[in-house]
Amino acid sequence: MFYVPKNAIYKRIPRRKFLELGGGVATALGAGSVAVGLSSVVTRSPVQAASSDDAKWKQYSGTKLVFMSENTPPSFAIRENLKPFYDLTGIEVEILTDDLPVVQQKVGIDLRSGKADFHLNYVQDKPIGAPFADYFANLNDFINDDTLPQDPDGMGADAWFENFLDVCGTMYTRDRLIAFPYDSAVACTFYRQDLFEQHSPDFEKEYGYRMEFTKDTTWKNVYDFAEFFKKLRAAGQDVPYGYAQHQGSFAWTAQLDIQRLMYAHGQWTEFDVDDKLGSKEPGPTRWGDESSIFLMEKWKELASVAHPDNLANDTLQLNTVYQAGQIAMQVQYHEFAASIEDEKTSRAAGGKTAYAPCPKGEASWIKNGGQAVNGTSCGIGGIGINNNASDDLKRAAYLFAMWSTSKETQYNVLKGVGGTPTRKAVMDMPGVKEARQRPTDMPNALTFDAVYDYGIKDPHFVLGPKIPEANEYYQIILTEVQKCISGQQDPAATCESIRDQVDDMNDI
Amino acid sequence: MASKDVVEYASPARRIANVAVVVFLAVYLLWTILPIFVMFVSSLKDLLEAFRIPAVGDWSGIALFFDFEPTFKHYTNLFVNLNFGVYFFNSVAAALGSAVVSVTLGATCAYALSRTEFRGKKDLFFWIISTRMAPVVAVMVPLYAIFRSLELVGSLWGLILAYTTFNLPFAIWILKGFFDNVPFAIEEAQMVDGATRMQAFRSILPLVAPGIGAFLVLCVLFAWNDFLFASIIGSGGAKTLPVATKELVQPQNIQWGSIMAAGVVTTLPMMFLGLLIRRYLVTGLTMGAVRE
Amino acid sequence: MATQVLPGGALRGDAPGGINPVGIMPGFVTRDGVTVLEAEPLARNPEPSRRYYFYMMAPAIITLAAISLYPFFWLIWMSLHDVDIMAGDKWVGLKNFERLFTRDAKFSNGWLLLIQYSAMCLFFEVLLGVLIAVLLNRSRWEKVLVTVFLMPMMMAPAIAGLVWYYLYNGTFGWYHWFMQSVGLLGETSILGSPSTAMIGLVLVDIWQWTPLIVLITLAGLKRVPRDQLEANMVDGAGEIRNFFQVVLPNLYPFLLIGILLRFMDNFRFIDSVLILTGGGPADATNILPVYLFDVSFQYFKLGRGAAIALTLLVVTIILGMFLVKIFDSPAARNVGRTEG
Repeated sequence: MFYVPKNAIYKRIPRRKFLELGGGVATALGAGSVAVGLSSVVTRSPVQAASSDDAKWKQYSGTKLVFMSENTPPSFAIRENLKPFYDLTGIEVEILTDDLPVVQQKVGIDLRSGKADFHLNYVQDKPIGAPFADYFANLNDFINDDTLPQDPDGMGADAWFENFLDVCGTMYTRDRLIAFPYDSAVACTFYRQDLFEQHSPDFEKEYGYRMEFTKDTTWKNVYDFAEFFKKLRAAGQDVPYGYAQHQGSFAWTAQLDIQRLMYAHGQWTEFDVDDKLGSKEPGPTRWGDESSIFLMEKWKELASVAHPDNLANDTLQLNTVYQAGQIAMQVQYHEFAASIEDEKTSRAAGGKTAYAPCPKGEASWIKNGGQAVNGTSCGIGGIGINNNASDDLKRAAYLFAMWSTSKETQYNVLKGVGGTPTRKAVMDMPGVKEARQRPTDMPNALTFDAVYDYGIKDPHFVLGPKIPEANEYYQIILTEVQKCISGQQDPAATCESIRDQVDDMNDI
Repeated sequence: MASKDVVEYASPARRIANVAVVVFLAVYLLWTILPIFVMFVSSLKDLLEAFRIPAVGDWSGIALFFDFEPTFKHYTNLFVNLNFGVYFFNSVAAALGSAVVSVTLGATCAYALSRTEFRGKKDLFFWIISTRMAPVVAVMVPLYAIFRSLELVGSLWGLILAYTTFNLPFAIWILKGFFDNVPFAIEEAQMVDGATRMQAFRSILPLVAPGIGAFLVLCVLFAWNDFLFASIIGSGGAKTLPVATKELVQPQNIQWGSIMAAGVVTTLPMMFLGLLIRRYLVTGLTMGAVRE
Repeated sequence: MATQVLPGGALRGDAPGGINPVGIMPGFVTRDGVTVLEAEPLARNPEPSRRYYFYMMAPAIITLAAISLYPFFWLIWMSLHDVDIMAGDKWVGLKNFERLFTRDAKFSNGWLLLIQYSAMCLFFEVLLGVLIAVLLNRSRWEKVLVTVFLMPMMMAPAIAGLVWYYLYNGTFGWYHWFMQSVGLLGETSILGSPSTAMIGLVLVDIWQWTPLIVLITLAGLKRVPRDQLEANMVDGAGEIRNFFQVVLPNLYPFLLIGILLRFMDNFRFIDSVLILTGGGPADATNILPVYLFDVSFQYFKLGRGAAIALTLLVVTIILGMFLVKIFDSPAARNVGRTEG
């Protein structure tokens, strides 16, 4: 749809230079698209603090950079439209995109081995940022550098939505900033308003309250809704299931899924550390405590009234199930709204779907004495700079990091392919406010009330766990929770097994 | 067993057995073809049409499967918007490149191995074939590092070399068997007539050429169908069809129509090639252990 | 194919004792020991020519060494270190292995599942493959049907994984609908339950690789000695007895080769498993190569990953030795490695 990787470096290289680059053999073979490796070029014309902004932007004209990104909409959209950046800076950027696991692999090997094939990296907060935090350049150095141009809206915490800079930029210490928020995926509730309204009278007769979704709807209510739909189905009615979990094979989102329930009830987190900072040595885990076991029981109960294919559907497939009209509600990432509202691919489009914050904690389910919140989990993809690169390359990369997260770029992505802004200022751009109501030409904006005005704020937002072993942690959670849901082990044994494995992982 | 001469003496029990055989083979045929057929048909469907499925137990609902407006938009989408032309080319270049490199290097090596004798030859030979047996996942991390330090990651040259890791030992192993079958007497006669060794080597090449051609095709097939190497060593500058297809499972939307179309594009040429070298398939796939 | 058809031993040039004392070419020895082509005296294949042969070998051997030996030693090095992302590498001796063998449940589970998976695949592939080959052998449909049956083998495993994922899908998968309609499955799709996910993977493998066994068996059937069959018939054996008494023993080496090859392929190729289940649900399909993939590429525990990889490599090499032994063994002589 929007993917046209025209080897950017290659295209603009004049013929003679191309031959110098060793492309001669390739041409001889007719191999027109043989890539020229991942070499980089840096050229520099020195500037001073007093130089014009234009000179500052142009100081690395002729430089070539490589950006390794997950295959997310902004990267496709930006790759399509790199000319403004080239015109502004004279820098060529090649954007490579891959699946998250492949990006993890490549970025990991690149960073670890002291190389800089990829000057810019997509820093998916926990999966990439947490393990490789030490290998990214400290962006604070550039923000305070007056020989570099700066974004008029600023790059500090205030420029972004609450917590966003912390989620992907702050790992373990506030002394370093490793990434700017590039795109975001924040959970909120997608539900079929048409079905809820249709069945609300019957529901109210049985359960004594209206079937609707508000910010005060609790996980207990979600259970009731799901049970109600399931009973209707059992009675032979043609209705979808009421709820489904993200417990398919993608471990990270499976962990984020149960994290919402846990955090909603007394802000339970797995480690006794500052959730915003995380820790390299998080200490013994809380898994296995009373709260966790109780909530695991509830999770299993929720699974019992959920779509029966729970363990096969991960986030992406779950969205397909919702699109196909087979569930009436899903807690999903707000970037998916665009696909739900697309009449060509979705049966839940055309005003059938409404959006609300994540479900709230049920007071009677709280065992740790904390408060009930709308536990909202997230993945904030940042853009970070490889610290192995030379100083000049890093400074050039900063120009791109800044440009690609500017409000104009984010606005264009939002208008074009969907996209999920991370800058507050985007909300005030023309048409964005109007797009938050139907009819809309930016379907993702329909979620903005639930997400940007509510879910991401404290005390609802959960950032972590930021630990170096995050990816192994996810897999442990996924496997054990799947065992629990499928009835292979009871909730208590599940939590204890998680505890033992997590503590072993952290050398406790 | 189901051969003609047996059928002629058919008793009732025999007849039932024959019917059972036909039914069994028909079911197996269906089982073999169905996934490929579904792939093909789904590549012509819109996403919402593909989502339509009859109620459980509603057998007449199978008609739903054929109830759609065929569209070639997924194919045009692949080649016009998604750059599959380039990926197709990458697949061809990487597979063909590695096949040519492997068979060229492999043929000379196999010839020499076939014509000479030295201490430890057996071990060397085993080592050669064991490099092909090694699980790819096991050696991927070091391989990636090596390729990266040679600046080969994300380039077609890198992918060609990566595929050579499994095609070269295969070629040596198979081609040695070929040369073993050519009597040294032929070269000898040539050399007596004053030919150099190289000329003698070349003189026997026509004898093994058809086989070499077939295994060249087989090397193409192995390389074409690879996924792990292509996704880790190749992706970026040298994305191949299987990787590009997998990438259509995108965050936000699984484009099933395009995935199936890409599946057809990836599979059809290989099915054709498979038929072409049908006679050599069993030899190739058993590393020369079995011949038809 | 070579025009000259010479009967011969399985692996030629394996004369015991390394270099032949008189420096001769390996002879072309038939299975009953009759020399077809006389060994050639040193004078005809003089010493300088041997250097020439080494030059011919060198490019291939050097390439192979670079891309296989070097990674191999690197692997050993990593397995003895704690290759830590944050802190740098630290020598840990055999600790990585100790962990695997003492308290890594996923490691032992992975081996168990790998063997289980391979055993299930191979059982059905051999059963079906032999049956189909016997039914097709010398029948008038043989050519056409075998050609059609071969088609799945030509599909890239990654594509096969995607196609089957589509068929199995609980929301829009036609195979799921079918299995539900005949009452084999409930609403939970085959890959969505730990008790059936493995079966789902096995079915895909059977679909793709039964044809290989068919091909191998057909080749074997063509080589069952007529005289043995006839002798048995004279003794009054029917077709079925004939099959078990004569055909099957003759097929045995063929099948063994097929089984070993498939078994090793299950170590090598996890493309379709990664796409279909990624090892889940609840570790039900977490065969060892998939676990290795996770450890090395998801957790970046390269030391532990290398240790797992080495155990896989060792077992693969042992299996490979078996395979080569079979090529070599007298029983496999008529497998026909050298017959045109």
